[in-house]
Amino acid sequence: MSDDAKSIDRWREDFPVRWDADHYLTRRELAKFLTLGSALLCGATGALALASRIGARSDWPAVRIPAAAALLPGTSLLFRYPDDAGPCILIKTGAGELKAYSQVCTHLSCAVRYPSGGDTIECPCHRGFFAVDDGRPVAGPPTRALPRVRLETRSDGVYAIGMEV
Amino acid sequence: MQTQQQGSVLFAGVLVLIATLVIIQLWLLTAALEALLARTYEVLVPATVASIVLFVVNALLLGYVVAFDRKVRSRRRNDSLELL
Repeated sequence: MSDDAKSIDRWREDFPVRWDADHYLTRRELAKFLTLGSALLCGATGALALASRIGARSDWPAVRIPAAAALLPGTSLLFRYPDDAGPCILIKTGAGELKAYSQVCTHLSCAVRYPSGGDTIECPCHRGFFAVDDGRPVAGPPTRALPRVRLETRSDGVYAIGMEV
Repeated sequence: MQTQQQGSVLFAGVLVLIATLVIIQLWLLTAALEALLARTYEVLVPATVASIVLFVVNALLLGYVVAFDRKVRSRRRNDSLELL
């Protein structure tokens, strides 16, 4: 290799990109950056799938709801399930049927309430309404149903035995 | 120079393709997040598989253009050495 060629090689180590190829290099770097972003998005989606597996719960405790048996038709009471961090609402419909849901609104987590005798559960924060029968949203901003608490009537009272989400 | 122009067009095309696939992946991520919040877990695994497939396609496209770029640069380097 001649001295001139060696000199050009050294010069290229410091300035490796020709001016007319500058946009070419920038595009290559952008392609690499986008592919890195693609890997991150892929990982994030996988992490969500993994979180759903870890967060899924199958061992629900049976918790007795005090005073449930004495509830009058068209009224409600509050209880906690499956632990103290889970506010829930138990409703006795006009027909005498017991229904229980999470009290946390699926819109922005306000506490929902049951106006006596009505056929909807109301979220007072943004005027969201859910059907008492199945917890589905019927009006207002919520788009997801309230998680339903499964109930079981035993000889010594009414028990919450699980949640359907 | 002709190869470089071809490479430039190739890069532009591949970039658009990669960007489109990344946008689809972004949509998949938001759909997966919405599904997680709505507790419709059956959506999450197909979304993850689709995202992995798109990432593999992106990686293959990147590998292809990087290899093409390397070829163009080595050819240009040889041409400039021949001029000397």
